[in-house]
Amino acid sequence: MLQMTNLSKVFRTHMIETHALRDFSIHVREGEFVAVTGPSGSGKTTFLNIAGLLETFTSGSYRLDGVDVHGLDDNARSRLRNEKIGFIFQGFNLIPDLNLFDNVDVPLRYRGFNGAERRRRIEEALTKVGLASRQKHYPSELSGGQQQRVAIARALAGSPRLLLADEPTGNLDSLMARGVMDLMEEINDQGTTIVMVTHDPELAARAQRNVHIIDGQVTDLDEGPRLALAGVGAAAAAVGA
Amino acid sequence: MEVRPILSALMRNKAGLVLIVAQVAITLAVICNSLFIVVQRAERVGRDSGIDEAGTFTIDSLGFAAGFDLRDTIAADLAVLRALPGVVAATPVNSVPMSNGGWSTGLALTPDDGTDSREGHSSALYFVDEQGLDAFGVRLVEGRNFRPDEIGELRQSDGIQADSIIVTEALARSLFPDGGAVGQQVYGIGSNNRTVTIIGVVEKLQQPWVGSTTVEQSSLIPAVVNDGNYSRYLVRAEPGQRDAVMARVEAALQDANSGRLLRRTRSVEETRAASYRQDRAMMSILSGTMLAMMLITGLGIIGLTSFWVTRRIKQIGTRRALGARRFNIRAWFQTENGLMIALGVAVGAVLTYGFNAWLMQTINAQRLPWHYLPIGALAVFALGQLAVLGPAGRAASVPPALATRTA
Repeated sequence: MLQMTNLSKVFRTHMIETHALRDFSIHVREGEFVAVTGPSGSGKTTFLNIAGLLETFTSGSYRLDGVDVHGLDDNARSRLRNEKIGFIFQGFNLIPDLNLFDNVDVPLRYRGFNGAERRRRIEEALTKVGLASRQKHYPSELSGGQQQRVAIARALAGSPRLLLADEPTGNLDSLMARGVMDLMEEINDQGTTIVMVTHDPELAARAQRNVHIIDGQVTDLDEGPRLALAGVGAAAAAVGA
Repeated sequence: MEVRPILSALMRNKAGLVLIVAQVAITLAVICNSLFIVVQRAERVGRDSGIDEAGTFTIDSLGFAAGFDLRDTIAADLAVLRALPGVVAATPVNSVPMSNGGWSTGLALTPDDGTDSREGHSSALYFVDEQGLDAFGVRLVEGRNFRPDEIGELRQSDGIQADSIIVTEALARSLFPDGGAVGQQVYGIGSNNRTVTIIGVVEKLQQPWVGSTTVEQSSLIPAVVNDGNYSRYLVRAEPGQRDAVMARVEAALQDANSGRLLRRTRSVEETRAASYRQDRAMMSILSGTMLAMMLITGLGIIGLTSFWVTRRIKQIGTRRALGARRFNIRAWFQTENGLMIALGVAVGAVLTYGFNAWLMQTINAQRLPWHYLPIGALAVFALGQLAVLGPAGRAASVPPALATRTA
């Protein structure tokens, strides 16, 4: 689904060069739930931005769902982003002047779906996150947890192959955070690949695999408990068979 | 097109919306009404007076010496003038078009019965001799010119004794809509209810009064004003020689008779400039006002949209992250601007006609023709779209990565 090989990202000013990512390689398979952890300034967000085609990289290669993204122009990157990726941001990034329906509608309009198709997808996505009855409400009328659920609905409405989450529970209390994580696990269970950037080890522990970044390089590729459990389950199923 | 969500978002930002809508509405009202007045004035200023303006000038003579004889002076002056090189024709005249002073009367097809009930056809009166048509440079389209033996004298105490007149086409049409004016007799010029016969029709000769509603209706009378000691001559020079002839005429007339003052040697072009000075000033002021309003509105739109771009920078980044292309962002701001302008135009249409009604009441303006509204609307729409180009371009250049930066 997501394969970066020997990728580097250098930010240049006229005085200095900053290597945000160097010789960075990662392979996320379809259906995986990967947590990317690391201290502040380690390159997590740069990785997420490049993975989400929000930024270009300096060298190396990146294939997203089989597409080599190197050299794609801005329009092609936007289209690919719209079709294949759903974003969940730490600050929700809902549009305050639009109601929930119109917020979820934003990426669908850019996709070019017709009105009926958009309506179907929006209602389905809002139902999935338990907010179907609040379509006409504005973000300011919702709690933080509910707002993040709307953001998840917006990310899911376009049926993305990859969900990128940037500290999705960073602005939520523990109860709300747990609800959002449950929802993300449910989405992953239904087959959507998830890459989540977090600095919270407790959340990272709920992913199938942990990738640790320090100084722009992958230092660790741990299997998380969920993957271990899934592995045990698969083995048990094999034995049972 | 995201019309509905943009409109609903605008409704949640009423302050900015109201500001732009009000600005557009006022601008539209001012532009439409000002443009109408400017066009009207431009039409008026640009009207053809019918005479050879570039080649003609007038010169006034005022006798002061004891024994000054006006009749002899006019005869001698005309002989001098007509003998000067570069002079095409010269005539005594009481007035010229655009001079804003002269004689007028009401021509009628029936005698005056003293009841004021007959219909009069307003006409300016130009007293000229047989060179009058040539001196004005007007074109005779029907009938004939005055013969020298038809030229009489005019004393105010005696009234007009002429038997024949030449009228403009506009006056002929007003008197005889079915044509055939030449040979017809009319009342209103000859004293004591005498008729005069129309012997010719000239294409065009405007009245002296530029504001007249019947400015195209004039009559030429074969008479030389012989009252007091004042006379005026209209001289037409060969093409390109007017200024030289003006100097020559002044010198020659002064030499011919030193018992008078020569005053106001003035080209008809100068007369036109003086006559339409107010109109031109009005056109300049209103054009300046229109430009200023457009500029202020344009700057207002640029200012507000720039503010909105800055305020929505995170939202723009988010939209880009969610798949918006640069074109989508630009289209969003331009659609939003188009909607605000459309609302402004709707309010402005009411304001425009309200303003027009007020102008009709206070300065006797005419009713604004409907087509000024779409013209004005198009102008403010184009202005809005132009004004928003810069801020929309800035918005479109916001990188999608901005979505992941914390505010």
